[in-house]
This record gives sequence, structure tokens and C-alpha cells, in this order.
Amino acid sequence: MNEQRDTFESKMKDAFDESVDALDAATLSKLNQGRHAALAQLHGPRQRWSRWMPATGAVAAILVAVVIMQSPTAVEDAAGVTTVTDMEILLGEDSLEMLEELEFYSWIDIAESEAEIG
Amino acid sequence: MEVKTAVFAVSCAGAPSIGARALQKERQLNQFLAEIERRALRIAEIGVRDRDEALDLVQDAMIKLVRNYADRAKEEWTPLFYRILQNGVRDWHRRQAVRNRVMAWVGRKPAADDDYDAIAAAPDPSGRAPDEELQNSEAMQSLETAVHELPPRQREAFMLRTFEGLDVAGTAIAMGCSQGSVKTHYSRAIHALRDRLEEHRPGHDGPMEGES
Repeated sequence: MNEQRDTFESKMKDAFDESVDALDAATLSKLNQGRHAALAQLHGPRQRWSRWMPATGAVAAILVAVVIMQSPTAVEDAAGVTTVTDMEILLGEDSLEMLEELEFYSWIDIAESEAEIG
Repeated sequence: MEVKTAVFAVSCAGAPSIGARALQKERQLNQFLAEIERRALRIAEIGVRDRDEALDLVQDAMIKLVRNYADRAKEEWTPLFYRILQNGVRDWHRRQAVRNRVMAWVGRKPAADDDYDAIAAAPDPSGRAPDEELQNSEAMQSLETAVHELPPRQREAFMLRTFEGLDVAGTAIAMGCSQGSVKTHYSRAIHALRDRLEEHRPGHDGPMEGES
């Protein structure tokens, strides 16, 4: 029974294999093309990255341009505020007057010291 | 410093680079698909009875296997590939059923399986005598028709076990069911085919004669 069954199945398998072996060239060519299209999927991520690269580059360029256009104003403002504030402290009117009358303040200091001793 | 360089060089020589591994994987996949594609096409063709549709289904299965399962062990590729392909065939039949309902609703005659010309789709002769070729064509046509008319799960079990040569475990993975179910479907398929192809059995004239 088993032998008969095996023979029956092997006959069907043989008929199937014959039909596979006799596939025409056009069909085999289409299968070949389909296989290579499938294998191209292995490089899919890289291709996707390449496809988006120009867009990514353009966005990056726009961002850099915006930063460059914005940056000088910001630096100038910051530097301006800093410079004016520092100069006001360093070169205030009182400080200049003190520098101009340095000898007078020195004389007062000496006079006060002598009075304390005397 | 020289020792470190030497150790690095040895370790690099021992392990293939990422590029080499990728190339090896591509070669293995190419070889696997080249080996399986023709049988897969015929199996899909018997399932849908249309060569162009079968070609599309096989290509879709190849793409999905490469995209989703390339990193799996080689031994797993065959059942995974056929699982994808069988799912594709089932989806195709669902779409056809919907299309036929719509066509019937709008009053047009739906495409019938009977439109399929097995002789026209039969492989080219390959140097055999005309009567032998005719006999083989008739045998394959009878077999195709009988297999196609099996219930879908029986058809899948039969084709995967007999035509593709998968074992019960592999067939179970491909069909997405238990091994017990595979055995049941397969056994019923064999009995149905035996009844259907009785005219080709021993004692009858036909290409399957000669069995004991």
C-alpha cells in the first residue's frame, strides 16, 4: 500500500518536475528579473538615504543661511550693550575727575594723617 | 605598539568585514531564490491558473523574503518563502472573489477558471516526440486541474509536500498551522487525487500507468 502510494506520488512529482524543467525562456527571464529586483531590496536603506540626501542638504543649507543672517545682529547687539555698560563704569565722569585731582586727594590724605598725630 | 597592530590585523583577517558579510548574504539569497523560483512559479500557477499573476506573486514573495527575512538562517528561508507565497495566493483568491461579486452585481460575466487554457500555458516542448509530449501535457493538465480543484488547504499541503518536497514541520510553518493539520490535509488531498485521477491509475490507459 505504502509502495503503491509512494509510486503514485512520485509519478505526480515527476510530471510536475517535467513541467518545471520545460518552462520557456521568456518566463525564465521574467523570473530572473524578479529575483534581481528582490535582491535590490538588500540595498534599500542606502538607496532611500541617497534619495533623501539632496532634500536634507537643502534644508541644512537653509538653516545655516538663517543662522548666519541672524547671528551678526545678535553679536553686535550683545557686544554693543556690553561695551557701553563697561565704558560707563570705567570712564564715568566721577572717575575722570578723581584722576585729574589726584594730587589734591593725596594732600588731603597727608593733612588728615598729620592732624591725627598732632 | 607593534604588538597591538599585529593583534588588530589578525582579528580583522579572522572576521569578515561588514561588506563581505553583506556580499555573502546576497550570494546566498540569490542562489536560494534561483533554486526555488521555477517550482514556486508552477505551484503559484496551479493555485491561481494564470502565469502572469503567478509571476507577480512569486516576485512579491521574493521581495518580502529579502526585505523581512534575509537575516534568518538559510534553513528557514524555504518554509518562510512558501508561507509568504501561500498568503499571496490566498489574498489573490479573496480579491478575485470580491471582483467576481462586483462584476456579477454590475451584470458582467465574471472571469471563470474555465477560461484558463492549460495547453496554451503548458511548457514548450523540449525535444520529445509529439505523442509523448501530448501524453505528458495531458497528464500534467489532468493533474493541474485535479490539484486546483482541491480545497485550498489540501492543495497547499499537497503541493508543498509533494511538489516542493517540504517535510511535515516545514509545511506546517509554510501553512501557519500544526503538523497534525498538515497530515490531515495531505492525507485527504492524496485520497481525493487518487479518486480523481483514477483513469491514470494501473489498469487504465494513460501516462500514470505502470504503477504496481
